Amino acid sequence: MSLRGADTLGGRAAVAGIGATEFSKDSGRSELALAVEAVGAALDDAGLAPDDVDGMVTFTMDTSPEITVAQAAGIGELSFFSRVHYGGGAACATVQQAALAVAAGIAETVVCYRAFNERSGRRFGSGVQQREPSAEGAALGWVLPSGLLTPASWVAMAAQRYLHTYGLEPEVFGHVAVVDRKYAATNPAAHFHGRPITLADHAASRWIVEPLRLLDCCQETDGGQAIVVTSVERARGLRHPPAVIAAAAQGAGRAQEQMTGFYRDDITGLPESGVVARQLWRSSGLTPAGIDVAILYDHFTPFVLTQLEEFGFCGRGEGAGFVAEERIPLNTHGGQLGEAYLHGMNGIAEGVRQIRGSAVNQVEGAGHVLVTAGTGVPTSGLILAQDA
Amino acid sequence: MGEPAAGRDADVDDPLYERLASYEGQPAATAVRGRDPVNAPMIRHWCEALGHPLPADGSAPPTMLQVWTMAGLTEPSRQTDDDAPGGRSAAYEGLLGALDEAGCTSVVATNCEQEYVRTLTPGEEIVFDSVIESVSPRKRTGLGTGYFVTTRMDVRAGGTLVGTHRFRILKYRPAEPRSTGEPPAGRARKGNRRPRPVINRDNAGFWAGVEREQLLFQRCTACGTARFPWLPGCNGCGAREWTAEEASGRGTVHSFVVMHHPPFPAFDPPYAVALVELEEGVRIVAQLAGISYRRVRIGMPVRVDFARLEGEDEGLVLPVFRPAGPVGDEEPVCVGDALPPLDVPVTRTLIVAGALASRDFQDVHHDAEAARERGSPDIFMNILTTNGLVGRYVSEWAGPAARLRRVAIRLGVPNRPGDTMTLTGRVTAVRPAPAAEEHGPGRTVELSIRGANAAGDHVTGTVLVELPGRDGKGARG
Repeated sequence: MSLRGADTLGGRAAVAGIGATEFSKDSGRSELALAVEAVGAALDDAGLAPDDVDGMVTFTMDTSPEITVAQAAGIGELSFFSRVHYGGGAACATVQQAALAVAAGIAETVVCYRAFNERSGRRFGSGVQQREPSAEGAALGWVLPSGLLTPASWVAMAAQRYLHTYGLEPEVFGHVAVVDRKYAATNPAAHFHGRPITLADHAASRWIVEPLRLLDCCQETDGGQAIVVTSVERARGLRHPPAVIAAAAQGAGRAQEQMTGFYRDDITGLPESGVVARQLWRSSGLTPAGIDVAILYDHFTPFVLTQLEEFGFCGRGEGAGFVAEERIPLNTHGGQLGEAYLHGMNGIAEGVRQIRGSAVNQVEGAGHVLVTAGTGVPTSGLILAQDA
Repeated sequence: MGEPAAGRDADVDDPLYERLASYEGQPAATAVRGRDPVNAPMIRHWCEALGHPLPADGSAPPTMLQVWTMAGLTEPSRQTDDDAPGGRSAAYEGLLGALDEAGCTSVVATNCEQEYVRTLTPGEEIVFDSVIESVSPRKRTGLGTGYFVTTRMDVRAGGTLVGTHRFRILKYRPAEPRSTGEPPAGRARKGNRRPRPVINRDNAGFWAGVEREQLLFQRCTACGTARFPWLPGCNGCGAREWTAEEASGRGTVHSFVVMHHPPFPAFDPPYAVALVELEEGVRIVAQLAGISYRRVRIGMPVRVDFARLEGEDEGLVLPVFRPAGPVGDEEPVCVGDALPPLDVPVTRTLIVAGALASRDFQDVHHDAEAARERGSPDIFMNILTTNGLVGRYVSEWAGPAARLRRVAIRLGVPNRPGDTMTLTGRVTAVRPAPAAEEHGPGRTVELSIRGANAAGDHVTGTVLVELPGRDGKGARG
């Protein structure tokens, strides 16, 4: 687990359970209730009881503390609890934290969760208009008075430069949207179940922040998702075949920012994703050719292309062509554009389903799944594998 | 002077306002004739009082437009048909009377916006119509509580329109004297306010620079790396010693976005926000000004400007970037060009002579004792003189062949005897002028003008001026 050498975490822990609430535009219940419900569903899926849990991990952004979720979910004493920062960049890192705790013997069974009313409550897409004068607030404060206020706008700044650098038009982002919506159309849990789109639909959708259109943007969702992590040995005795955590990594780049990485030498890439990619490949011994399904974080389409490039699936500027040719099964649940925006946690669940062979859009013989987390922020990634 | 950015009064119910608002759209004056024909002595007197160049063709400077509409000291303007004294309609008398009754007996002009269709020459007689365009809800200002009244006047001569004149006054009940420098009471706090810079000890130096219209970045003392955003240490070498350096302000658009959705009250979508790479090698995010969002391109040269915001954002200064470099072929006047500053000593003579030359006999502009009774420590400059000085400043820069098309000004702090007002200006847009038979092809230049004294901005405004030809003759002062 380092920038300089392969780690020893791979193969020590596995995902044994996944559980979610329905994904909706108005859950009608509290974020805490959603979290508790998702945790309960994940434990049921694993065949474990609340008393089996001794660790919990969530996002710093989550409004439901580990102790309160535990309290309401029937979970008792905890020997490990942790939170990961940087928005959706935390998603895969929650599983990494859980795996670390399990591998070190600090906890035996850890539940990772994320739950919010992101559509009916605080909508990220409605933008930011003020920040406290902390170091973190000041970092975003450089752009707010000029009216660069939304996640879409922060991504669009990099996307515009990307298009310019590679001589592309905004319509190329439509390939990601079309693929996501194709898989969502056959996923009953997806918001856009039964509603595929074409490139023409994408190109005809209205501007949100040029060069991003409405159909480049993910859903805003109410819901909860939980993931149960335990040792591979323990997982083998549970209800489903283990989804082994073959590699897990976090990454931040030099001069890293949160969504406003405008000041680095080249803004057409995502160096933090590159940091994650190098570790995942080195620790797993895999290459892009060994990946059967890629679940790439897609709050906005452009960074899916950048991630494909950072992970080495294709060359710089070639992401759109790679997606257009569907050279790898991508976001088979419909992604966050098609299924739901659960801050990346629903993507981990899809990775687990692919490994188990139970996905609605199952890729035959999926042995290795790459899952990534929030982009444009310090981020994380996982390679899930079938048990050897 | 007025504080047009003042907060709305806290009381919601205001029966007076409803009564005042009923006058909106009614005439303020109908077919009123000027007190005197346009004449050479008044032109010369006005030019001498303001130090304005005397037009060689004998015409009246365009910024004298309002002068020809002013009543005399004792004699009212002549009505084409008798109506009310002073040329005012019954409706306008009613509106002003209602304000007087409510205790809003003081008046101060806050804004003047004039468009000039053609120049006036001696012998012409003007006739004007004026309409009550709007009355604001009750506002609390630094001067007192009152109402802004906006009128729009069409000035004709020989049966054709020569110019329009939109004028805003504050009719107010004087506030109790208070110490200067106190922030105006009742400022709106939320609503349409723009997001504020997030200022802390690490970056305060940058924002202090912006206040002074300097764009500052950091440079590492140890390794020389230029740094932005501001941080207390260097990412290149970890050293914590640094100096602040002023950027030239020149850069290129490295990337940009066009904001469409969702709408934010302080912004008017669609609008462009750019990531500008400064020539010193650092990047900064800022809005673009002086260019349609449709025309923004990566790589285009830009130059920094400093936007002083108004309304609820009064006091906020932000760096913005404008297109730099020649806008068209061989055009010597470029966006971003600064006009040479002009210092105007505000003498008692200038204030009094300017007021009288513009036929403004309000006592606060010539009688210090009367001014004190009305809450001002001394006499202060009238808006017609300010308007004329802005016209003078632009005319001196643009040369005698230029034609003023529009002057829109807003008053801030007063100009009082002993002040020095420094006028500065900047070219904010250059475009081909509409075809004019008499003058041939030319360019319309948009200027942003400020006149500041030690207490702050006395006047801010925009001016449109047409410059002849493409050779730029007489275009650079």
